[in-house]
Amino acid sequence: MNFAATLGLALPIGIGLAAIGSGVGLGFMGRGAMEAMGRQPEVLPKIQVAMIIGFGFIEALTIYAFVTMFFLQGKIQ
Amino acid sequence: MTPLIRNENAATNPLARAIWMSWLAAFALAGLLLPRTPGIALAIVAGQSLMAINFFFLDKLVKLFTHAMLPGTGHRQMPGRFFAYASLKVVLVYGGAFTLIRTHAVPFLPLVGGLSLPLLVLFLQSLMRAAGYAASPLARRAPQTAATSGNAAKLAASFFILALLAIPALGHASDHEAEPVVLAQHDPAQPTTPANPEAAQSEAAATAHGEAAVGEHAGAEHAEFEGGEAHLPNWVVILNDYFPDNPVVHWMHENEYLVFAWLAGLVFLVVVWIAMRNPTLVPGQLQNGIEWIVESMEDVCGGMLGKHLPKYFPFIMAIFFYILTMNLIGIIPGFKSSTSTLDVTLALALITFLYVQINGIINLGPLGYLDHLAGSPRDIVGFAMLPVMIPVHILGELVKPVSLSCRLFGNIFGEDTLIVVFVGVAALALKASLTALAVPPMAGITALFMLLQTLTAIVQALIFSLLTTVYLYMMLPHEEHAHGEAGHEHA
Repeated sequence: MNFAATLGLALPIGIGLAAIGSGVGLGFMGRGAMEAMGRQPEVLPKIQVAMIIGFGFIEALTIYAFVTMFFLQGKIQ
Repeated sequence: MTPLIRNENAATNPLARAIWMSWLAAFALAGLLLPRTPGIALAIVAGQSLMAINFFFLDKLVKLFTHAMLPGTGHRQMPGRFFAYASLKVVLVYGGAFTLIRTHAVPFLPLVGGLSLPLLVLFLQSLMRAAGYAASPLARRAPQTAATSGNAAKLAASFFILALLAIPALGHASDHEAEPVVLAQHDPAQPTTPANPEAAQSEAAATAHGEAAVGEHAGAEHAEFEGGEAHLPNWVVILNDYFPDNPVVHWMHENEYLVFAWLAGLVFLVVVWIAMRNPTLVPGQLQNGIEWIVESMEDVCGGMLGKHLPKYFPFIMAIFFYILTMNLIGIIPGFKSSTSTLDVTLALALITFLYVQINGIINLGPLGYLDHLAGSPRDIVGFAMLPVMIPVHILGELVKPVSLSCRLFGNIFGEDTLIVVFVGVAALALKASLTALAVPPMAGITALFMLLQTLTAIVQALIFSLLTTVYLYMMLPHEEHAHGEAGHEHA
């Protein structure tokens, strides 16, 4: 198994794993935010802002994998 | 000091604001030029500092002069400080400029450029004021909120500066393209001038990733992008097909990100101008929309920054609107999001980074800033951890622009690629005369993804500006945030 083949196998799997992790994280985050909103609708805007910022941080992890994939894509031959 | 002089602080004084922005511009320019031409970067910063010193003394002189001449103040003669300032100004500014030019320590033209940077900013600022942005409709409508007063002027001015600042990064991008040596070494078939639009397109795409790969695998990258990553044609590409020999079109084709970034700025300015041309108490649709955006952002950012909001709000909104316009313009067929290249997002993120760090130094003071970087050690354990904490915090600061730029680039680029793939499937079906079977569902899916793209465009602009706000908030004096969480925010 050479370098290119390893990369070709690992890149999609890596993105998938990153997406799974982010998905779980987003799920936890969304659940927490929804519960909080249901419990205290009066602070809804604050929770929403915090939620969106948190989403941004979590989602960035998958995006890093995505960008890494594009940087390394050229080395698969 | 008398109230006349004390009232002029940085937030209200347009001159101070212009100098401040030109510092920002000079450092951004210098930072981008430093790896290639350190001499030019040095000259720009030198010119900028000379002019800033010049304006500093000029400001002081004019204030002292007008104050002495003011009727009713009692003293009619110049204070001694006036002459001290005047002689200091002559020695420092003119002496400095003369020495720099005579000794050829720095190249002449960039020095002049640096010298004229504050003047350029002042010119743009006064242009915006003349265009009527100073008389803010928001201020007239809601005078009780301090944050909105005069924001439109600052907003427009900051916006212009941002548009200007995106240029060096794009120049950097075309530098890669203008270097056939590096590319040709690995791939002899690489056309030095992009003859067919497809090769040029993939070359532009390779440029976006050129930072990492241009050194060793440029040829391989080029080959990869031929198949892997096509862009939908935009009107610049189409124009280039029809007028391949026109130098202007050729330049536009090479710098299409720059063209679309300018276009986005222009669109935004025109929309705001139309909306705010005749501000009314009962706002029309467009005015209402823009005011709604500004006011909701003000609420959100005000929750974090509190009384510091008026100082930072123009920058945050300028970033927000600029990114939003650039993102949204890509949805229109035939146009392209400038944010789908790492060069533009990196430029934006670097500007934000510099802005945050400089504001941190100003807010915390140099010592307080170092203390912040060291993680505010207050006990023996804290001081013992210094060798570990300082690199960790510096790394944490440096990761911010990388994460900001990669997030924006990845999201927008990913959405673009998704749509290209689905359109590509539809095009394949066209070729295989399965049109009736495949095109309608594909068109439906593409339309759905375009809705998603709209959502991404708005959310990403929001996240970028909100994270800027969070970073600015972290750089506020420490006693102002809750003490318990001050230590954990950098994790």
